Amino acid sequence: MHRPDFIALAPLLILALSAAAVMLAIALRRNHLSAMGLSLTGLGAALTALPLMARYTPRTVTPLLIMDHFALFYTGLILAATAVVIVLSYDYFSQKDDLPEEAYLLLLLAALGAVILVCARHVAALFLGLEILSVSLYALIAYTRDRNISIEAGIKYLVLAAVSAAFLLFGAALIYAHTGALDFQQLGALLKAEPSGRPALILLAGLGFLVVAVGFKLALTPFHMWTPDIYQGAPAPVTAFVATVSKGAMAALLVRLFTPTDLPHWPALYLFFTAMAAASMAAGNLLALLQTNVKRLLAYSSIAHMGYLLAALLFSGQKAAVVMTFYLTVYVVSILGCFGIIAILSSKERDADTCQDLQGLFFRRPLLTGVFTTMLLSLAGIPLTAGFIGKFYVVSAGVENAHWFLVIILVVFSGVGLFYYLRVIIAMFSPSLDEGLVPSPALPALSAPVVLTLTFLSTLVLWLGVWPSWFLATLEKMLG
Amino acid sequence: MTAQPPVDTPLWPLVLYCAIVMILAAFIVILSAFLGQRHRERTTNEPYESGIAPTGSARIRFDIKFYLSAMFFVLFDLEAVFIFAWADAARPLGWTGYIEILIFIAVLLLALFYLWRVGALDWRVEKHRRSKRQVTKVN
Amino acid sequence: MILAFLILIPICGGVLAWTMESRHPGTARWIALAVLLGNLGLTALLVPARFDVVSAVGPFLISLELAWMPALGIHFHLALDGLNLVLVFLTHFLGLTALAAAWTEIEHKIGFFYFNLLWVLAGIMGVFLALDLFLFYFFWEMMLIPMFFLISVFGHANRTYASIKFFLFTQISGLLMLLAILGLYFIHGRLTGRYTFNYLELLGTPLSDVSGMLLMLGFLMAFAVKLPAVPLHTWLPDAHTEAPTAGSIILAGLLLKTGAYGIMRFVVPLFPKAAAAAAPFAMFLAVIAILYGALLALSQTDFKRLVAYTSVSHMGFVMLAIFAWNQLALQGALIQIICHGLSTGALFFLAGALQERLHTRELGRMGGLWAAAPRLSGMALFFALASLGLPGLGNFIAEFTILLGVYQVSKPLAVLSALGLISAAVYSLWIIQAAFHGPPQPKLVLADLSGRESAALLAMLAALVFLGLYPQPVFTAAEPALTHLTRTAATQKITEAVPAPPGENPHASP
Repeated sequence: MHRPDFIALAPLLILALSAAAVMLAIALRRNHLSAMGLSLTGLGAALTALPLMARYTPRTVTPLLIMDHFALFYTGLILAATAVVIVLSYDYFSQKDDLPEEAYLLLLLAALGAVILVCARHVAALFLGLEILSVSLYALIAYTRDRNISIEAGIKYLVLAAVSAAFLLFGAALIYAHTGALDFQQLGALLKAEPSGRPALILLAGLGFLVVAVGFKLALTPFHMWTPDIYQGAPAPVTAFVATVSKGAMAALLVRLFTPTDLPHWPALYLFFTAMAAASMAAGNLLALLQTNVKRLLAYSSIAHMGYLLAALLFSGQKAAVVMTFYLTVYVVSILGCFGIIAILSSKERDADTCQDLQGLFFRRPLLTGVFTTMLLSLAGIPLTAGFIGKFYVVSAGVENAHWFLVIILVVFSGVGLFYYLRVIIAMFSPSLDEGLVPSPALPALSAPVVLTLTFLSTLVLWLGVWPSWFLATLEKMLG
Repeated sequence: MTAQPPVDTPLWPLVLYCAIVMILAAFIVILSAFLGQRHRERTTNEPYESGIAPTGSARIRFDIKFYLSAMFFVLFDLEAVFIFAWADAARPLGWTGYIEILIFIAVLLLALFYLWRVGALDWRVEKHRRSKRQVTKVN
Repeated sequence: MILAFLILIPICGGVLAWTMESRHPGTARWIALAVLLGNLGLTALLVPARFDVVSAVGPFLISLELAWMPALGIHFHLALDGLNLVLVFLTHFLGLTALAAAWTEIEHKIGFFYFNLLWVLAGIMGVFLALDLFLFYFFWEMMLIPMFFLISVFGHANRTYASIKFFLFTQISGLLMLLAILGLYFIHGRLTGRYTFNYLELLGTPLSDVSGMLLMLGFLMAFAVKLPAVPLHTWLPDAHTEAPTAGSIILAGLLLKTGAYGIMRFVVPLFPKAAAAAAPFAMFLAVIAILYGALLALSQTDFKRLVAYTSVSHMGFVMLAIFAWNQLALQGALIQIICHGLSTGALFFLAGALQERLHTRELGRMGGLWAAAPRLSGMALFFALASLGLPGLGNFIAEFTILLGVYQVSKPLAVLSALGLISAAVYSLWIIQAAFHGPPQPKLVLADLSGRESAALLAMLAALVFLGLYPQPVFTAAEPALTHLTRTAATQKITEAVPAPPGENPHASP
């Protein structure tokens, strides 16, 4: 380890340090504001370290981690998303007088795990990051201990994530047994050299197990069953975190893992991915149609979005990094906005996640409704919002490479998907049924940081929707 | 790290081994079902305590603190393993290793400090603690 | 730059109207009025002295091209020729009518209403002006959202169902068009090495029969839903009926026209061979639309629903004319687009006025209104006559020209579609008979048209009479553009598969 190594690892070190600092602060004097402030400072410091260390990249630090432009971008995305989640958490948790401080500690640790995932260049680092992320999430999901539904969600996630980790380890072991390598680069090269016709069964099984583990984390059909329950049970800011940081880091890993292997070279794996993508798009959109709970609805919609993302990976080959990163960024921003609004509207007892909670929101909170509508339209992929450009980019990659099957599936089911987004939007714009009978719950005034965050997110959605060329060019330059 | 050329080990012995294990296990279970004697009487499902009839329920509520202590033991005990590993290779690792293990131990101490402060090591139940706090406030 | 302002001003005006309304109630409608009038003035500035100045790329009076996403070959490319100049005028005119209709009808969430109204107009303007396929698609989708809100928030009882149906139909067909656009983009890119969405460059992309047909169908699907062509029309009666008056006017007067414009501008010129191959089928569907729409209109009891079905019938004429693809029929189609926009817009206006007064749209509960509201009834009679194609009014010119043009291509279809004119007479007169004549309803108190309403209707009336007596200005304005369209299509067609007419038709003005 030399000095540049430490500089390259700066964001990770800063994150770890600030987690320790938050723990110390809690031990010394329990204070919600200071815990939040300390975490935000840590994240801010890590974010400012990114441009400073850009000079030293790409750099392989120990055999486990690599800091290249890809890792740099995703680290930035993760840190920014975590910062947004922390801002949202402050108002959300301060309603509840139940030891909110540890949430920040756990969020920082989870972010650390996610950053390790996106920097990983070795299966060991992958496992390390995954476990740091998952273990923090177990506690975070069950953080609102007074709600049965949270505890149920936490336990469900614990069991399923542990099973998927076991799959990951077993898969890695099988692959190691066959190739003798755990390094992504080496692995990619070896896999490429493998005769394409009939790959060794043991290798295929190993890859299959690996894909199962990744599929679980990304909630791709048929490994999606946990998503709605966990989305619904977890406190809204944590749901936002699960939906964005955890999935984003895993998707980044997917790109890193499978871009060098030249997927079409592996018909079995390729077929499996295609089936998973198609099934996710179909199942996610169809199952969401019947939901009345907005959190569950967004859970199913996120399944569909992960399907689009996987389709993007299959479509674009070498360009996959750019297309997927763009799509993922857009998705992260929109989802953060959606759950941000839900978190704001939530009360001490429960989250505002049913359609009744949103009924007539427009008459009480026109601006919040405007932001929520923008985010939903972005998820639906309607022009003027970033989601449109993202979907356009994915579809155009698909048409370019003539993947007609997946393109048609994508188009048809995203058409179907519009229906449920519209239902939520209509609910917000229709007067509530019991108007006048029951005084609508008084909504808490918004704090300045939350307003700032939401403004930032919606500006980003509109900006990327109207003028994406700068961002696209940056991505091309960084990742292309 | 040199990548071993994949050895072409045949897979069938493993499969055969698994099959034999399965068959053997199934065989034993099925055989005992045929050969074993069965009887259902009034006391068949009663627990047997050296001929003395059991009293009370077997389900006692343990204090949650026991679990907590057990968990802390596992945690810190496991961390100790890392220190052993370092101690074994302390000389080749040199000063770098020394500093790293110091950081590691510092984090452990920090965690211990945190646990102490949040009251996880406090054996009293919440109620006692609160009453004590009130008493000190009154004083 | 004026072209960009035409779109930008309503967008900014919409935001302004919404924000101002919350501070100073009552300002939104004035802002909207100012925006539309200002825009109309800007458009008037664009009217040239002569239309037949043809530049190298086409008969464009003015165009604007800014880099938007140059890496993908996407430009902010707007251009104006005689064809879309006429349509932009129509947009403003009907926008002002819709404003007049909404002036008193909308009582809640006024700011949001005018926001949506201005945005949908901006989107429509963009659709008419865009010459970059990506930009076109962008506006195509952009106009849906505000329209969706106009129906779902401000509509009548069954608005949720209607708005979602409208949105799903148009959005899914729009996605098919997106696929077709992308397909064309990549085929063109592979062949020439230039990846671009520029319409003018994509013209004349050589395509195989199969891919040309598939891409053409992708485009046609989106436009046929909007138009609406018969099997895809079911969203229209619901959307029209449930929308507020202003929404109905914009739907019937403008949104349907974007479909017709799309076929004229994109489907046939981009895929002349495939369009020619599909023409007999499309014309057949159009005739079915004419007859079926008229038939269904006859059996309606809801005023708005009836008018909605007449739209299906009238837009059938437009589709018929476009696929006949000769100068005469196209001129007729353009006049029909304008006149149908005006007459149907006016009928919806009247339906809205009646609903505001009577709180019903059921024809069965009307009757004998003439005595109570002579001005309103007189107007209704006039526009009903316009709709049935009374000589001397614009609709007559339109349908006559269309039939003339279609007759050159296919005699049986021309004869069949003429039957539609007869049924138009039946349903138009039936409206008048049912609503305005007959035994009066007891205890009927009915305010006649207000000054604002009269002014809006009189303006439409004047426009229809003018077009009926002297349609030449529209023909002159559109002639170079239409000639250019037919010529580009003809030069690309290698083989003539169907009875498509000779591309050039020297007698432009009837």
